[in-house]
Amino acid sequence: MKEQPRYFVMLFKSVSYVLKAEKILQKEGLPHKLIPVPKHISADCGICLRFEPAIQSKIKAALLNKVEIEEIREMAN
Amino acid sequence: MSEVKIVNATGLVCPQPVVLAKQALESHEQVMVIVDNDTALENVKRLGTKLGCDVKVEKKNDGTYEINLARKAGAVGTKEEFVPSCDATPVQSGPFVIVISANTMGRGNDELGYVLIRAFLHTIAVQAEKPDIMIFYNTGVKLALKESEVLDDLKELASAGVEMLVCGTCLNYFEVKEKLGVGVVSNMYDIAGIMSRAGRLLAP
Repeated sequence: MKEQPRYFVMLFKSVSYVLKAEKILQKEGLPHKLIPVPKHISADCGICLRFEPAIQSKIKAALLNKVEIEEIREMAN
Repeated sequence: MSEVKIVNATGLVCPQPVVLAKQALESHEQVMVIVDNDTALENVKRLGTKLGCDVKVEKKNDGTYEINLARKAGAVGTKEEFVPSCDATPVQSGPFVIVISANTMGRGNDELGYVLIRAFLHTIAVQAEKPDIMIFYNTGVKLALKESEVLDDLKELASAGVEMLVCGTCLNYFEVKEKLGVGVVSNMYDIAGIMSRAGRLLAP
């Protein structure tokens, strides 16, 4: 059986924060993916950034003092 | 006042309630039809409206509905054809097709639209109900390029058996034919043909 990759999702206060964070991560070359906020986290029509747990500290460092992160959650598979 | 004809259509399945209601209206000015499901309710209401009746519905505590149909003076006769829709889901004859006509979803703001189309494609890729065919044209083809941020989602769909057609004219126009990352280069004959045959066409 193929093992499901583990992911974290990063939540922000607004869509514009997500876009700002995305631009920074793109510039830094940190892999991430914009996805709808998983239903088990919120029923709102929101978006968030998904990334692999291994690069969490790099992503946090890149966004430090630039974009406010609301929450980081593990995605349920 | 003429008497009210009562038609008890509880327990009957479509199209029986409509057939009985129609028969009753042919011989009576006022008919009360009792039904116990939403499909019958909607169909009998539509029948009444179509035949020019006053339609009044009363919901009962036991879950049934009393539909009062009263023919208006001078209303058209009951000879007209009326086809009740017995199935909630329409018959699907052709393939389920999703058309991606831009690298945005909706109109008004492209930055937001680009966010939405990526979220849309990701959701389509992970949900159970997948399309049979996806068609990409105009700036939509940019989403199917190697550098696309939704390439993984599209590849997942492709490996799940979704056929992907990418407009060749469009790839040529943007000079990105060499960068195509998923799907096959297609032409207007196939694109127009599939869209014409589609059982369901979804255009986000």
